[in-house]
Amino acid sequence: MSSQDHLKETDTEARFEFKKEEKSAFKSEKGLTEETIRVISEDKDEPEWMLERRLRALEQFEAMPMPTDWPEAPDLSEVDIDQIVPYIRPDIDVRGGVDDWTDLPEEIKDTFDKLGIPEAEKNALSGVGAQYESEIVYQNMQERWEEKGVVFCDMDKAVQEHEELVKEYFMTKAVPPSDNKFAALHGAIWSGGSFVYVPEDTTVEMPIQAYFRMNSEGMGQFEHTLIIAEEGSEVHYIEGCSAPKYSAFNLHSGGVEVFVGEDAHVQYSTVQNWSKNTYNLNTKRAIAEKGGRMEWISGSMGSKATMLYPSTILKGRGASDNHITIAFAGEGQDIDTGAKVYHNAPETKSTIESKSISKDGGRTNYRGLVHIADGASDSSTAVECDALMFDNESTSDTMPYMEINESKVDVAHEATVGKIGDEDIFYLQSRGLDDDDAKQMIVSGFIEPITEELPIEYAVELNRLVELEMEGSLG
Amino acid sequence: MSTKAIESLSEDTVRHIAEERDEPEWLLETRLNALSALETAELPDVIQTPGRRWTDLEALDFEALVDPLNQSDATERTAGDDEVVVAPFTEAFDEYGDTLEEHFGTVLDPEHNYLTALSVALFTTGTFVYVPEGVDVEDVKIRAEMNSRSLFSQTLVVAEESSSVTILESIESGEESEIEGDRYFSNLVEVVGGENAAVQFGSLQNLDDDTYTYSLKRGITDTYATIDWIESNFGSKLTRSDVETELNGDGSESQIVGTFFGSEDQHFDVNARVWHQAEHTTADLVTRGVLDDVARSVYEGVQDVGRDAWNTSSYQRENTLMLSDDAEADASPKLIIHNHDTEASHSATVGQVDAEDLFYLESRSIDSLTARNMLVEGFFVPVLEEIAVDEFREDVEELVVERLQ
Repeated sequence: MSSQDHLKETDTEARFEFKKEEKSAFKSEKGLTEETIRVISEDKDEPEWMLERRLRALEQFEAMPMPTDWPEAPDLSEVDIDQIVPYIRPDIDVRGGVDDWTDLPEEIKDTFDKLGIPEAEKNALSGVGAQYESEIVYQNMQERWEEKGVVFCDMDKAVQEHEELVKEYFMTKAVPPSDNKFAALHGAIWSGGSFVYVPEDTTVEMPIQAYFRMNSEGMGQFEHTLIIAEEGSEVHYIEGCSAPKYSAFNLHSGGVEVFVGEDAHVQYSTVQNWSKNTYNLNTKRAIAEKGGRMEWISGSMGSKATMLYPSTILKGRGASDNHITIAFAGEGQDIDTGAKVYHNAPETKSTIESKSISKDGGRTNYRGLVHIADGASDSSTAVECDALMFDNESTSDTMPYMEINESKVDVAHEATVGKIGDEDIFYLQSRGLDDDDAKQMIVSGFIEPITEELPIEYAVELNRLVELEMEGSLG
Repeated sequence: MSTKAIESLSEDTVRHIAEERDEPEWLLETRLNALSALETAELPDVIQTPGRRWTDLEALDFEALVDPLNQSDATERTAGDDEVVVAPFTEAFDEYGDTLEEHFGTVLDPEHNYLTALSVALFTTGTFVYVPEGVDVEDVKIRAEMNSRSLFSQTLVVAEESSSVTILESIESGEESEIEGDRYFSNLVEVVGGENAAVQFGSLQNLDDDTYTYSLKRGITDTYATIDWIESNFGSKLTRSDVETELNGDGSESQIVGTFFGSEDQHFDVNARVWHQAEHTTADLVTRGVLDDVARSVYEGVQDVGRDAWNTSSYQRENTLMLSDDAEADASPKLIIHNHDTEASHSATVGQVDAEDLFYLESRSIDSLTARNMLVEGFFVPVLEEIAVDEFREDVEELVVERLQ
């Protein structure tokens, strides 16, 4: 299989193609109009129903207010959709990647350097976007997927080739555009993303990976991921995200919909390292049928402001959910993240584990909602939030909401906030570690419950990102 | 959101109240300012999640509930000590007018929200408690009965340097009251905790189930001061209660203990908030509540640690026990932390009476209802233990037992 074929199998190919087409095909204006949407839809050669959905979502977007009434919500006043290039990338002089890589701000380049990715791979990663991420796994797994009937393709292709499935599930059940303003925006101008279909009783042993990268200044990325895991199936989907930093803001407003069939098991892992001019406003939601199990694992390291609350609706008896989140907010960052779980059936179970670190004026917030509906008897939920702070310029908030309409339940929420213990540091120093190393080691220990849930390569990446952030602060 | 104006309210109403009570000019002005603030003031914040407003205050028909000129109460005040002043404002103006003026509205801005403004404009009862420097007094009791459509109460506690006082304030519906239909009780309490002073303010609300209750209690601590609250709610159809402490003095402390027992269709919206704004401050928020029938509780706890609040300790626990399948409990314990030199934690649980405990008692040949009741009584023990006034503790125990019949 040629590398071109690989590209076509992933969402990233589409975005790479945009770069090529940009000069010849499109000179889209900034902002969002019906005309823009028609152009996007036409370019994608979409069926009429998809265009209609886009236009309906646009109407909803225009009608909805910005979410300004949330207590202590991140400041989104800078997010002006009229300043966003929703679809077409501006000036790309990258041909072959190398230039693009060197164009990257030192901050990101340095990050990759320190991540220990060899030079050759570095070039591949920046030059061909996510190809590097996809290629390794993809190549190894392609044959097996196809034999088992597993589908992994980019979302635009899915609209063409799996039209009935997409028509049934796309923003109709899990994330309707009316859910929130940015879901509506997403519904209007979504582009790219992954479509995953796992047939009954099929286990995809190795994780499926996608890497999302934004390259252009002032652009918005709106990829849509739709995962359908049929009865008894199992799949682990991993996404990585990064973008170079520009002075203008970027907007990432992805949509993720996961359908966990009866007794199926889906794990969705994200390591997000958007540049610090990016607003990361996603809507991610899963619906779990009887006995289904959903796991969300999220590491939020980057972005200027993140508002992300992966949700699970436990719809069938005995369905379960597991959230593990880690947020790291440095200078100028506002990471407002958490979880939402709706227990709508008996014997459902959820556990939420959140770890956050804030330093140098950064803010983290755990904002979570657990709702146990009347009749969801014998359900249980346990929420645990731990926060670590480095200084008195930073902020660490915890805002859980619990709505319990059923008595036969076991509900527990716990949270702690603290600083690194002087005694712990002293102990490590007495063992010959310097102050920085001691702090780093304590932070690594603090987030270990989360890194141990990740595949080794992601755990390593997460740890390195944390170390990098720490170096910046302590050096 | 703009709140409806109450048509029957005018400056004349407020002047009339002030004149009848022979109030000084400054208080009339404060009242009039509060009245005009009604035009723009908003109802207290209520938690909202997608598709769900935790308490609907907007549904209250203030036009029908507020009857300012016919307020009536019977209040018994016991000082327990000659050195302390425990009196209605009207009896305190002559001798303590300056102290009243100095502190009134400094802890709790009358224009804080629509309901506080309404309360300040219209209050006709309440108590001034003044504890002079170095005086220790136990068992100050203020027992009030509400005998009218609406009643607005305003209490100010000033504890001077190195004084200490324990206060019990209770409110219930008067037995002879012939008022039919819904009623409204509003209670504002301000506590000024002077340097090294210690105040425990206990409150017991057991109004009948036609009454809507709004209560906001706030204290400010000076250096080394302690303000402890015990807020117990048993009565009312709908209760909105906020208990708050601003820890403004270094080394100051506050404990907020809350308890409620809801049955039938009672709705409790209880809130405990603390702001750490100085060094070495400590706060402990403990709330325990039981819900039976179709009762509903809403809880918000806030621990806010400011940038300069070095060496803070702050703890919060909330536990709700559900006795009925149709009860509902919403809870939101929040941490807002701006200083890393903090040890803070909170926890919240919702559950039933423990099945194993029940089984154990039953195996000792205790019938299941008695066993359950014993466990519920035991559930309140951590709260009861904090109450310093014996009479108050006994009242709460009695009310719990009464509810369990």
